[in-house]
Amino acid sequence: MIAAAAGRPKDAWRHVRLLFLAFLALWILFTVFPLYFMTITAFKTAAETNLTVPTFWPGDWQPRNFVGVFAEKTNFSALVDSFIIATANTALALFLGSLAGYAFARFPRQAGGENLAFWILSNRMFPPVAILVPMFFLFDSTPWGTDSHLSLILLYLVFNLPLATWLMMVFFRDAPVEIEEAAYLDGWTPLRAFAKVTLPLVLPGMISVAMLCWIFAWNEYLFANLFVGSAVRTYTIVIPTFTHGSQTLWNLQMAFSLIAMVPPVTLFILLRRYMVRGLSLGVVKG
Amino acid sequence: MARLEVDEICKGWDFPVIDELSFSVDEGEFFVIVGASGIGKTTLLRLISGLETPDAGRVIIGGADQTKLPPYKRRIAMTFESYALYPHLSVHENIASPLRARKVPAKERDRRVKEVARLLKIDHLLNRRPGEVSGGQKQRTALGRTLVADPEIFLLDEPISHLDAKIRHELRTQFHTLEDLRKVATVYVTHDYSEALSLGDRIGVMGAGGKLEQVGAPRDLFERPANLTVAEHLGQPTINVIGARLQSEDGTLFLRADSGELKFPVGKSNRALLERHGKEKITVGLRPQFIKPIEEAEDGAEPLTAEIDVFEPLGATGIMIANAGGVRLTALTNPEKHFEPGQTVTLAVDVDRFHFFDADSGVNLDRLN
Amino acid sequence: MSQVSLREVNKIYGEGAGRVHAVQDLNLEIGDGEFVALLGPSGCGKTSTLRMIVGLETITSGDIFFDGRNISRLEPQDRNVAMAFETYALYPNFTVEENLAFPLEVRGVVEATRRSKVREIAEILRISDILGSHPSELSGGQQQRVSLGRALIREPSVFILDEVMSHLDAHLKFRMLFDLKRLHRELKRTMVYVTHDQVEALALADRVAVMSNARMQQVGDRNTLYNRPANVFVADFIGEPPTNFFRARVVADDSRLTLAVEDSDLVLVPDEGTAAALKRSEPKSVIAGIRPQNLNLSDKPVALNARVAINEYLGERSMLTVYNGSIRFRALAPPETRISRGEAVRLGYDPANVMVFDPETELLIS
Repeated sequence: MIAAAAGRPKDAWRHVRLLFLAFLALWILFTVFPLYFMTITAFKTAAETNLTVPTFWPGDWQPRNFVGVFAEKTNFSALVDSFIIATANTALALFLGSLAGYAFARFPRQAGGENLAFWILSNRMFPPVAILVPMFFLFDSTPWGTDSHLSLILLYLVFNLPLATWLMMVFFRDAPVEIEEAAYLDGWTPLRAFAKVTLPLVLPGMISVAMLCWIFAWNEYLFANLFVGSAVRTYTIVIPTFTHGSQTLWNLQMAFSLIAMVPPVTLFILLRRYMVRGLSLGVVKG
Repeated sequence: MARLEVDEICKGWDFPVIDELSFSVDEGEFFVIVGASGIGKTTLLRLISGLETPDAGRVIIGGADQTKLPPYKRRIAMTFESYALYPHLSVHENIASPLRARKVPAKERDRRVKEVARLLKIDHLLNRRPGEVSGGQKQRTALGRTLVADPEIFLLDEPISHLDAKIRHELRTQFHTLEDLRKVATVYVTHDYSEALSLGDRIGVMGAGGKLEQVGAPRDLFERPANLTVAEHLGQPTINVIGARLQSEDGTLFLRADSGELKFPVGKSNRALLERHGKEKITVGLRPQFIKPIEEAEDGAEPLTAEIDVFEPLGATGIMIANAGGVRLTALTNPEKHFEPGQTVTLAVDVDRFHFFDADSGVNLDRLN
Repeated sequence: MSQVSLREVNKIYGEGAGRVHAVQDLNLEIGDGEFVALLGPSGCGKTSTLRMIVGLETITSGDIFFDGRNISRLEPQDRNVAMAFETYALYPNFTVEENLAFPLEVRGVVEATRRSKVREIAEILRISDILGSHPSELSGGQQQRVSLGRALIREPSVFILDEVMSHLDAHLKFRMLFDLKRLHRELKRTMVYVTHDQVEALALADRVAVMSNARMQQVGDRNTLYNRPANVFVADFIGEPPTNFFRARVVADDSRLTLAVEDSDLVLVPDEGTAAALKRSEPKSVIAGIRPQNLNLSDKPVALNARVAINEYLGERSMLTVYNGSIRFRALAPPETRISRGEAVRLGYDPANVMVFDPETELLIS
């Protein structure tokens, strides 16, 4: 049956390809348009954003919006806070997740087996809002309270650690155990063998895991909104504050959002080579 | 450099894989373990190397009990069936790995890697990654990594069985000539009996049940197999096995095949052996190379009339399967001469080359008395 | 019943810089009921050729005929070709019987006929006792036979086997060789066996077609390929243990012609026919080849003198690796041979077994 498809003349494929391209064009429209509208809104004046009939090209270009958002000094520090939280959380998730993932991959029996690994992953699946309030009280009773970097760094582990553990487990499973064993016989101690041989093999995977964790922590709003606000502010809870009386300042809000998009997009572009290799599992074989 | 002793070693998971297995390999000896795939040969090597811990028994290297020593503290080099090269490192870095682990200075390291690479004819590939070289070259790289380590023991796990015939010949020759390999104790594991016979100073045949069925020099194993398992494992095509009964007619001893009319006289050299054994039922083994199609009866050999079932001309030999009085016999022939299925031939059987096994236990009668 | 012919078949993949000429001007005639092996190293074009016969690949130019009918443009299902693959591809949730019956069921064959056909094919393949089992309960060899059975059951006119034995272990492979050969004898169907393993090809096929570099090198039976290989490639590729090759100078005086092997004092004497051909074409140097099984410890009138480097006892025979000067080569000896390293040997041969090739074209001179 596969044979029949492969033997078909090329003309039939041309139509399929056209259809596919049309679908692709539609899909791009769907995803790119919001981004486009966001960008032009960031350059509009406040008045232009409030027209009942929206304009699709700014009548009056206002690049100063991008400076304006930082008139409030705390807005910049919010980006810094977000960065600290996301980065620290990612580092912690990766470190703990790699250790746990390695244990699940190499010593499934001793580490509690597939069931335990799956249970850890399933923690990722319940609706976050369900634990919102309990978590608040839990963190409130700690010495550092809720309104601190540490609270969010630890809290986000609830979501990122299961993901990191599970994915790292898959990557470690894919890295042939014999290569590690060969390294032991070469005379490397287990720790050095891990660093020299296993780690380089799972590095692409690790980088994609890092990306996923970092983006989650960077973009998280629900918990941040409840937990922090005065000592620490993440950029996500700053975005809704661009108002003037009852009036939302769409242009500033969009400009700030665009600025907040820069770090993850830059990271993605820099690391996309690893991302693709990491996300297509099984790369280390051969 | 040291002597290796494996002393009553046991290992099992849900069932025993290695069961009270013992052997020793002298310094400079090449010891081959041959057995069917999946029988536990690799597990044995892993026990010796320390990658697995035995349930019982000891591994003694150079007189010291190393059973509890982790692999990286032993001086053992091992090749893996899957080569286990580091895919992210170049051939040079792969070979250099054991030297780096032992903190050999970079200059010395480079010198030794190049020396080994030249020996193995991969010196032009040093900058490539394992993914960019052929199977034979991967094997040479893996071999290079073990050779450079200057270990006390070499363990080689099916190093050439996945390669093309031509490269297999070439590497086998290399195993014969590599001095480094020939001066320490080496354990070489394979399922291919011809590799075992060719390379081994001594060979251990591993059977089901995790024990060595027989240990001995190549000729001993092939010409005097301890039991049916050993006889059947060595040799391609497999030895002819015929269930037979010992009968006497006018004072002459005969062997009559259970299935059919076939009847062999007992050669003079074997008469005493069979009489001493005293049982009527005997399993007879005869290697295909001692059955030959002939034009007419010759002296000394026992002629048989048979109908050809299959004839296959292979490379250096031809294989004929013929039905002689209800018994299927495999014979090695000259491949140049063609035979047709259905054709009748006269086969000469060398009765002095028979092996006799106890019908129940499969033990060679040689060993029973 | 079918006769297959390939005429001037070409296959080109891609265009421009990525253009690959995978099969080049290929001609092959396969007789009705013949068993032909397509043999070559990986990447030689044999798989492309087979895929064109089956119809999985379009033919760039040339034609393929079944019984004189041009089927080059037909869809695979209209060609009545069956193919067994290297991987078993059995349906794991079906029993052996259901697996075998499946191709018939798809074609709407009634149940009674299906049953009798399954019994019949199971009988031939000796799998009658496992009809009720599921594939996971079977050994590799049994699975392989069921997979063959499934391909055979719809009685194709041409039956193609693609590397079906390459991952069976040696003992099993041996048994399968005999099974296949018997199968062919009983079914009398046209079969094409594709492999890179010369032992399989020689053992099974009536004729072997040797391919390399997208081209057909030679088609012939075992003795032709062994004794009169068309070129160096065939002489080297066919033969186990591998053929010995020497670069040699042609030394001719009035009475006789000999070949002096470079970097040694070995001298090879070709037979009269080859000598005459060499005198006609007058090359300065040649590539000479002789197979290890044609070099023996015997008192033949012509011989090569050498010293033993390795004596490998192999059970049924011994293989000697010997040297003379910087030249190493191999010879076969009886298993009783007890010669050790460094000893001198005299390896006799029959001049008829000396193969001589042109050093430029690498074609056989005869």
